[in-house]
Amino acid sequence: MISVKHLRKTFGETEVLKDISMDIHSQEVVVVIGPSGSGKSTFLRCLNLIESVTDGSIVIDGQEITASGVNVNTLRTEVGMVFQQFNLFPHKTVLENITLPIVTVRKWKKHQAEEKAMDLLQKVGLLEKASAYPDSLSGGQKQRVAIARALGMEPKVMLFDEPTSALDPEMVGEVLGVMKQLAEEGMTMVVVTHEMGFAREVGDRVVFMDDGYVVEEKPPKELFEKPEHERTKAFLSKVL
Amino acid sequence: MNFRFDIIQEYLPFFLQGMGLTILMSVIGVLMGCILGFFIALGKMSPILIVRLPFIWYINFLRGTPLLVQLFLFHFAVLPSLLGETTPVLSVIVTLSLNSSAYVAEIFRAGLQSIDKGQAEAAHSLGMNKVQVMWHVLLPQAFKRSIPPLGNEFIVLLKDSSLGAMIAAQDVLYWGRAASNEYLKVWEPYLMVALIYLVLTLSLTYLLNYIEKRLDVK
Repeated sequence: MISVKHLRKTFGETEVLKDISMDIHSQEVVVVIGPSGSGKSTFLRCLNLIESVTDGSIVIDGQEITASGVNVNTLRTEVGMVFQQFNLFPHKTVLENITLPIVTVRKWKKHQAEEKAMDLLQKVGLLEKASAYPDSLSGGQKQRVAIARALGMEPKVMLFDEPTSALDPEMVGEVLGVMKQLAEEGMTMVVVTHEMGFAREVGDRVVFMDDGYVVEEKPPKELFEKPEHERTKAFLSKVL
Repeated sequence: MNFRFDIIQEYLPFFLQGMGLTILMSVIGVLMGCILGFFIALGKMSPILIVRLPFIWYINFLRGTPLLVQLFLFHFAVLPSLLGETTPVLSVIVTLSLNSSAYVAEIFRAGLQSIDKGQAEAAHSLGMNKVQVMWHVLLPQAFKRSIPPLGNEFIVLLKDSSLGAMIAAQDVLYWGRAASNEYLKVWEPYLMVALIYLVLTLSLTYLLNYIEKRLDVK
């Protein structure tokens, strides 16, 4: 599904991703963990080219997205993304947040897009908030709308960039619940998170990144119980 | 002091006529300034220096030289050589439009750049192209934030239109000067001119407050 080879990313003099190679299979849930500054968010942002790639290649669904002349916008409709800060459009209602890209990018008719949006809102349990503005929602509700908005494009992969890090603790559960449901439906997901419980329960594979490298990747049970590398052990001892 | 209300009375029709012209020149100036200013703001935000440079200097020139000097330049030099001839009203409108476009451009640019980067990122991540992101996501938010400073600019522009009297555009101040010259009186005509501008700017202020409230500007 996704094949990353020798990915490098530099910001000026700073090399954030040093040599990342990874394969992500269809319907797999890959959880990326690591200390802040390890490059995990940058890695995720490279997968839909929100961050340009310095070197290496990324192939998604048979298409090399890092090749020149690739239509970035078409690629991005295949790869949904959920952000730490939600990034809902504050001047649009919840319903409009979801229909806007469906109408402008997918070119659906407005009423079709609205039907689709209502289905998605039902799925994330926010049907009654359709005509509300994002300002009036709680953090957890905002993030669920953001997930629905990304799903509206019917992506093949969903990327989650610390989706619960900006939430009050009591709202983390509702967002993780929606993500878990997505995973059960067979969505391919790459999740950067500090929620070790989620990684353990939902992740098929956990990737530990540090200092721009993938240090270790294993099924969650193995990684959490028998980490091989010193750096993994040190990190886990702090967060578990 | 003997206050001659009869002068004001005699000149009232002219003052009202001048008020009409002042409003007309200001409204056209504001509209043209907004349209031009939008494109100049986009030009000034270009990542390519060569593209950006002319816009930077357009703004530098129009903000860095006195409006009266610009008015003389356009009325006596630029427009006559471009069009062969010009009228005071046309010169005032052109000068006000260009001058306000420079200020409006900076207002729009500040508005656009104040929008959180995550907004554009989220829109792009949904597959929207640059034009769609600008039109559906960034501009509506930036425009809303620009309303208070834009209102300020409109009030400045309305008052600045009085410089048109210097090239004999028949605005409010023009008739004030005419009355003053005819009767060799200063208090009556100039107080009246000041009062008319005050009425105009206060009306505009309340109109803008109303719009801000309606659009829920924070």
